[in-house]
Amino acid sequence: MPVLTSDDMCPVCKMIRYLNKDMEFLINPECYHSMCSNCVNRLFNDGPNQCPYAGCHKTLRRKGFRSAFFGDLTVEREVDIRRRVAAVFNRVEDDFETLRDYNNYLQMVEDLTFDLVSGTDARRHDAEATLQQWEASHKAEIERNRKAGRDADEMTRRRVNAEREAARQRRVDALREAEDEKVERARSREAELDSLAQGAAPGGGDGQRVQLKRPGPAAGSSLASASFSSASGALADVGRLSIRGLKEKRKPAAAEGPYDPFGGMDFVPSRYRVREGLDHPWLNKYRLDRSYATGGYTFNEYTHRAMFEAFAGLGVFVDDEKEVGIGLSAREVATIGAGIAAVGDRMELD
Amino acid sequence: MEFNIDDLPVLFPYPRIYPEQYAYMVDLKKTLDAGGNCVLEMPSGTGKTVTLLSLIVAYQQYYPTHRKLIYCSRTMSEIEKALVELKSLMKFRTERLGREEEFRGLGLTSRKNLCLHPSVKREKSGSVVDARCRSLTAGFIKEKKERGEDVDLCIYHDNLDLLEPHNLVPNGVWTLDDLLQYGEKNKQCPYFTARRMMQFCNVIIYSYHYLLDPKIAERVSKDLSKDCIVVFDEAHNIDNVCIESLSTDITEDSLRRATRGAQNLETKISEMRDSDQQKLQDEYEKLVEGLRGADEGRQEDAFMANPTLPDDLLTEAIPGNIRRAEHFVAFLRRFIEYLKTRMKVRQVISETPPSFLAHLKEYTFIEKKPLRFCAERLTSLVRTLELTNIEDYQPLQEVATFATLVATYEKGFLLILEPYESDTAEVPNPVLHFTCLDAAIAIKPVFDRFSSVVITSGTISPLEMYPKMLDFPTVVQESYAMTLGRRSFYPMIVTRGSDQASISTSFQVRNEPSVVRNYGNLLTELSRITPDGMVVFFPSYLYMESIISMWQGMGILDEVWKYKLILVETPDAQETSLALETYRTACCNGRGAVMLCVARGKVSEGIDFDHQYGRTVLCIGVPFQYTESRILKARLEFLRETYRIRENDFLSFDAMRHAAQCLGRVLRGKDDYGLMVLADRRFQKKRAQLPKWINSALNDVDTNLSTDVAVSTARTFLRKMAQPFSAKDQEGHSTWSMADLRAHQAQQAQDEIKELQERREAEERQNAQAAQKKSATRADSDYEMDDEDMAELMALDGN
Repeated sequence: MPVLTSDDMCPVCKMIRYLNKDMEFLINPECYHSMCSNCVNRLFNDGPNQCPYAGCHKTLRRKGFRSAFFGDLTVEREVDIRRRVAAVFNRVEDDFETLRDYNNYLQMVEDLTFDLVSGTDARRHDAEATLQQWEASHKAEIERNRKAGRDADEMTRRRVNAEREAARQRRVDALREAEDEKVERARSREAELDSLAQGAAPGGGDGQRVQLKRPGPAAGSSLASASFSSASGALADVGRLSIRGLKEKRKPAAAEGPYDPFGGMDFVPSRYRVREGLDHPWLNKYRLDRSYATGGYTFNEYTHRAMFEAFAGLGVFVDDEKEVGIGLSAREVATIGAGIAAVGDRMELD
Repeated sequence: MEFNIDDLPVLFPYPRIYPEQYAYMVDLKKTLDAGGNCVLEMPSGTGKTVTLLSLIVAYQQYYPTHRKLIYCSRTMSEIEKALVELKSLMKFRTERLGREEEFRGLGLTSRKNLCLHPSVKREKSGSVVDARCRSLTAGFIKEKKERGEDVDLCIYHDNLDLLEPHNLVPNGVWTLDDLLQYGEKNKQCPYFTARRMMQFCNVIIYSYHYLLDPKIAERVSKDLSKDCIVVFDEAHNIDNVCIESLSTDITEDSLRRATRGAQNLETKISEMRDSDQQKLQDEYEKLVEGLRGADEGRQEDAFMANPTLPDDLLTEAIPGNIRRAEHFVAFLRRFIEYLKTRMKVRQVISETPPSFLAHLKEYTFIEKKPLRFCAERLTSLVRTLELTNIEDYQPLQEVATFATLVATYEKGFLLILEPYESDTAEVPNPVLHFTCLDAAIAIKPVFDRFSSVVITSGTISPLEMYPKMLDFPTVVQESYAMTLGRRSFYPMIVTRGSDQASISTSFQVRNEPSVVRNYGNLLTELSRITPDGMVVFFPSYLYMESIISMWQGMGILDEVWKYKLILVETPDAQETSLALETYRTACCNGRGAVMLCVARGKVSEGIDFDHQYGRTVLCIGVPFQYTESRILKARLEFLRETYRIRENDFLSFDAMRHAAQCLGRVLRGKDDYGLMVLADRRFQKKRAQLPKWINSALNDVDTNLSTDVAVSTARTFLRKMAQPFSAKDQEGHSTWSMADLRAHQAQQAQDEIKELQERREAEERQNAQAAQKKSATRADSDYEMDDEDMAELMALDGN
């Protein structure tokens, strides 16, 4: 008789897979004891009941049962605990001053998780208390980080989707191009044969032959840039979506006053102050001599403008602004395209 | 012989030189002077290795920079051959110069080939030898011994420490055998001698992997200086080597064993915590500080090296959540369990690394960064635990390698999960391929680091494909034709059988009886007229088996049997070497034999069929790759998207380079002769993709033959070849003596002078013309001026 692994026999009702082909094992995160779905139905249909495992006195409900993601149930439990911990301790590297602080934080979290997973009862208790305390005291922060994390996830998800779409599109284009070329070649051949049949000199047919152009690198790059722009367009959308929440908060304040063509932007310089009565000996000539003045232009205008230009551009970091747009490299798209090709779905083309 | 190229005196160890060898040297020198890369194709059997070596050795001895040569070849036997060539070259130089030069040349190969330890060298598998060697030579073992513990050490390795570290072997060229003998005599380990002496060598000869595979290159080739000259010989498959060095496969079995490895680690850690808490604490402190032993990465006894390329290495402290040993082991276990779960899926999945990482994070809370440090952390842990039986941890190492690679690279890589071995298989045998799609990634550090890289082979056409695929600029791309005293090889393309039905191994027709019979007839006819040995290449094992069984049914094999012994290559290496042995015997004793092999098999790449061992090579069908392979499909797609190489172009290029390799098997020198038959309708269109030297010998009339015509042509050719032919006939044309060479050089110089003169004359003429024009215009303007003056005068007059 073959050895029955835990995957083949239900430990509760001893049903084996041979008799029930689509036997499914479920666990309850209360105690992580696995049993087959039949057993779950049988035992817990009429409300909460005790776990059928000997020595386990946990009361389980049917609602709590689910199938396990991991084969190893200790890992399953660990990951469940991690999920809880990660929901509370969700800081990212940017929150920390130095890498070392971040690493220390990571280790602290890991230690806590370890206590929860495999510590003694006392330590588990302590860790649990710490976790709850932290959650209570840092609620706002946690919520903020969670949101940021979700946004980042969303961003990556969209980005991946955009890339996939770009790759798919290019693949379809390439296939169509190949197809077109084949048709074109067949046609030119036909035309040549026709011209031969009509008694034209073979040389003439040769001269008329259409030179099929191959997709050179130039064509490719334009293709890439086209898909790039479309993809980045999609991404720009994403960017706008994620910051919409911020904008709406500021709007009401601006909406109250009279119409302002600059949208509430004030032109009071923040970095410098222009004082009246400053003496510029080399400029006095122009200030005092009326013949230099033109209509609608005062001398103060000149000093204001000079100061403005001197300070313009401070506090603007081009690199920061660049990072907002996400580049989509050809190599990345090609990798995804290769993935699609590997699975070999012929897609909508045929 | 001794001659100069420009100002460089070259000593060539033979009394005569081939014209193409001279041309090769000139181009090579041009490349070295310019400090760039080159792709050179020179026909097989024209002494490529000795040409290369004699020029480069002359170059490094003559110029004061003494640039080191790193010569990479593919197989053990080729490395050995190159070493022997180098040795004879140096002997010749010593005789000629009358003094021994300050010169050291060494070859490096695996521990398995270079071990002298009485019990370790008996191990059959290379990885076991490595593991056992490490357990006898690692640094901590020695420390233990010094503390007075009872541990075994390798005496050969320890003796090395008694010698001067820069002078472990005397000057000279050391072939692998020499090194073994010297090691045995002086009781010193040949492997570590070679490894440690590499910095002090003028010439190093080893396998590709020591430079391309980051796992090994990091440890072995890190200290080589920037101005080294790197040569990749037999480089027609270099893109595949690059790709393999960054790809890994994970199977269910390896995961199972990795789990066991992780469990072992866990017990070891708890043991150590009980006995020697301090060591773990030390390691921890070190990781907190972000200290990394300066030399840790390249220590000789390191458990494994980082599998990523040097540029992609992160040099910050290990992340906090895997700093503690037990945290790291739990981390590994979680990762392994995750992979196990993924393997349960019963459909093909292809994923990019970012999407894999996103899924991983969602289910296991493993972040990218600690994953990236997996390999490094595991090495550190293994060192701390002082594990000796590291072969048990091999699968764990594979998983860690995989983890590091997947977290490091985003672009140009793909994860493919194949649950079934073939489309028809019922029993799942899942394999997770992590495959590199871009050959340029692995070789990039080589091009970045070394200024001169030479890529050369007998069959490397079309030349422009390689710079494109590997993404590097070249100074020289050249293919040399073969100068021959007589027409000693005869390529032909057979497209039809005697019944005028076209023959092809394309998928639709390959099993049709008429095609099979026509191929059979071709084989029978050729085996009847060919003396001694004959080699036949099939596109795949599968097709070979089916066609042989069909031939058996048709009685074709019985017919062939009358003229030749039939031997078959199998995937099993030992069986094949036995078959080759028999084949050689049959060729030598006059019975004659025909060897049926596969175009991508072992025979097609490494075995030479020189002289009587191969008089005819028959290539049945175009050896295309198996195009249904998912990895290949992915790679084709990637090549098209990034390098604009079309699928069909690449497939056809790849098939033709293998076909050319097969054809090159029979011709191993200028005194050799052989018939090359390409039997497929499709070869007609692919003719341009053959190497220049084969293509130029292929007459237009021989590109579309039927079997009977081909056989009669072949008969004439073989009869002509059977006439006596002395070396004298070649002189002056296909081999040059000193006088011929001088004449050539003089001619060359004269041509150059003439060209310069012509150019000068042309320039002068142009100048003269320009001057004339100028003067003419000046005259015009003078005249105009006059006119104007006149007008003015007239105006004045008028006034």
